[in-house]
Amino acid sequence: MNLLPTALLPACALLLRPLRYLVARGWLRESDVDAWLRLLHPALRLNRVLARVCAREWVAEDMLALTLQPNGNWRGAQPGQHVQLYIERDGVRLSRSYSLTRVGADGRLQIAIKRQAGGRVSPYLLECLAVGEVLELGTVQGELHWPQQAPGVLLLAAGSGITPLLGLLRSALAQGFAAPVTLLHYVREQGQRAFADELQALQAQYSNFQVRWALTGAETPSAELQGRFTAEHLQGIGDVAQRAVLSCGPASFVAAVQHWWQGTGSQAELQVEAFTPPPLSVGSERREVQLSLARSRQVLSAHNQASLLEQAEAHGLRPAHGCRQGICASCTCTLVSGVVRDMRSGARLAEPGQAIRLCISAPEGDVEIEL
Amino acid sequence: MNHRQDRQLSPAELDAFGAELDALRQRTLADLGEADARYIRRIRTAVRFCCWSGRGLLMFGWFPPTWLLGSLLLGLGKILENMELGHNVIHGQYDWMNDPEFAGRSYEWDIAGPSDFWRHTHNHVHHTWTNVLGMDDDVGYGVVRLFPEQRWKPFYRWQPLWVTLQAVLFQYSVAIQHLRLDKVYKGKLSKAEVRPLIKQFNAKLLRQWSKDYLFFPLLALLIGANALAVLAGNVLANLLRNLWTFTVIFCGHFTEQAAVFSKESVVGESRGHWYLRQLRGSSNLNGGPLFHILTGNLSHQIEHHLFPDLPARRYAALAVEVREIAERYGQHYNSGSLWRQFATVLKRIWIYRRPPAEHLPASA
Repeated sequence: MNLLPTALLPACALLLRPLRYLVARGWLRESDVDAWLRLLHPALRLNRVLARVCAREWVAEDMLALTLQPNGNWRGAQPGQHVQLYIERDGVRLSRSYSLTRVGADGRLQIAIKRQAGGRVSPYLLECLAVGEVLELGTVQGELHWPQQAPGVLLLAAGSGITPLLGLLRSALAQGFAAPVTLLHYVREQGQRAFADELQALQAQYSNFQVRWALTGAETPSAELQGRFTAEHLQGIGDVAQRAVLSCGPASFVAAVQHWWQGTGSQAELQVEAFTPPPLSVGSERREVQLSLARSRQVLSAHNQASLLEQAEAHGLRPAHGCRQGICASCTCTLVSGVVRDMRSGARLAEPGQAIRLCISAPEGDVEIEL
Repeated sequence: MNHRQDRQLSPAELDAFGAELDALRQRTLADLGEADARYIRRIRTAVRFCCWSGRGLLMFGWFPPTWLLGSLLLGLGKILENMELGHNVIHGQYDWMNDPEFAGRSYEWDIAGPSDFWRHTHNHVHHTWTNVLGMDDDVGYGVVRLFPEQRWKPFYRWQPLWVTLQAVLFQYSVAIQHLRLDKVYKGKLSKAEVRPLIKQFNAKLLRQWSKDYLFFPLLALLIGANALAVLAGNVLANLLRNLWTFTVIFCGHFTEQAAVFSKESVVGESRGHWYLRQLRGSSNLNGGPLFHILTGNLSHQIEHHLFPDLPARRYAALAVEVREIAERYGQHYNSGSLWRQFATVLKRIWIYRRPPAEHLPASA
């Protein structure tokens, strides 16, 4: 039940400003204000970005596109960027990043979610999330952008790496980008060719756009290319060395593309985006890792044998801390990415946005924390 | 007056004792989930319901049924907010939820003392150095002598009076603890060092007073209600909360069977020894589920001190196992009814107001 029509939500943003001022200065508690706003409309909040699910559409066997209508707190995004999405499972708030496949002029967004076998978030989004439900969105990130001036563009995607490139492609073609564009999408099987119908329609509509698929899975006879990325797959494209290249996919795929691109000696632009590699399981032997501090913008060399607190201090930092034995929670800090080990229990924590205690957490691999 | 008969534990026994409690902690941690998240949100909603309905009822003026009920509801809301919600959230008990609303490092509670102060004086100092004389300032808060091991000063002669004042003004007593005015007075801490803290304290105090004693009375004036009745209701609610929290907290570590420790005894302390000290220095209160919630589950003070970062709703179940472990290791498990335990605290306040020569038996 909405006491307030959805259409009026953007107008509320202005009315909420005095409340926002009071909350920022500690005169009001944000969650209490939000509780009242929620009564007016389920997606109305003071600062948090909530989005209503407007549509669900299967775009491949294992990929679902969600159309979202964010509330007035949404600050906008560019195609090619990815947005943090929060859901709650078993009492724990989980967050995942999804690329924007469309940033509509009407303020609506589209994201596409690929099923991750054994994942905690994607199966829920794919199976359980219904139209009309409300999700929370977080920060928008990502540097990928369309090379407007390039004499031609080559898009190389693997798996769900198609999603940011599709967002860029759709907006570029709609805005009349006239130079040749080729998209090559690597998927395991025929049924995973996400957005295939739409891409073929775009190919028919725009003479400068061409789409190809490569199947990396079982060798079934088909019209598509076969196998993992290789330079031979690009043979049909005459001017490949002049083209700006955008590539997105798993780390190994992106590395292969980078290797090939360096070999061509191309002077054109290369943009890549790789998914975070899955956490490696490590033994107890000492390993060197990178410790990135998001707030102070530092990257430190660290290892997996001592607590984050000790290692930060060894680099001359002075993080807030108390008991140094995991009792008082004074050194609690947010894990941005990576995996840490609770040195008391051996438990591994890998949830982005999770609160960790620096004094009892050791990095398992490269780690970024909000410090 | 302490008659604890605890078995001395060898270092190996201490390690085993610590390992058992660690395992218990792990089992509970692994089990946290939906039910705990739902619980703390329900408490949060109950706090809102009590505070808002209480404030609403106070707008009906001095009419006794609404004024009393309104004040009681507001007081209840503040008690729940301070104890079961604020105190436990600030301990980081719900950090695993990743929900910014229940993040221990940023939660600000509805009480005079800034949460930042509390995170230091309570979470760090008190929980690390529980009942260590000279290190845990919560032992008597500097105004009360509760154990014969504490050095006597003439000031303590009047401590029943100081304690009464402290109970009435408990939220301020907790708040100024972090300012270390005693050290400033003795010149151990410069005024410049304390100034930023005083600024932070004043800012919080201004917000609290503006809300309770200015905004809502003014709102009453504006809608034609009785501002004085609203003001009085707020004073009563804060007073009730102060008295209740004082009672519960003084029962936590100052009962008859609570032990204190010397600075020397904690040098190089192992985890097992730390656990043992928490068990010996804390005391539980018996009661039903509602009583436990109203105390913020500090009625399970022993479990709270063993596992300060586990959600407090788990303490009741943990208590069964902790009691069994304590018995197996020959440790006294200090538990009793609120009134019995509180009576022993009052007895301590009364006895130890006098110098050692007067309260020690003649034969000693």
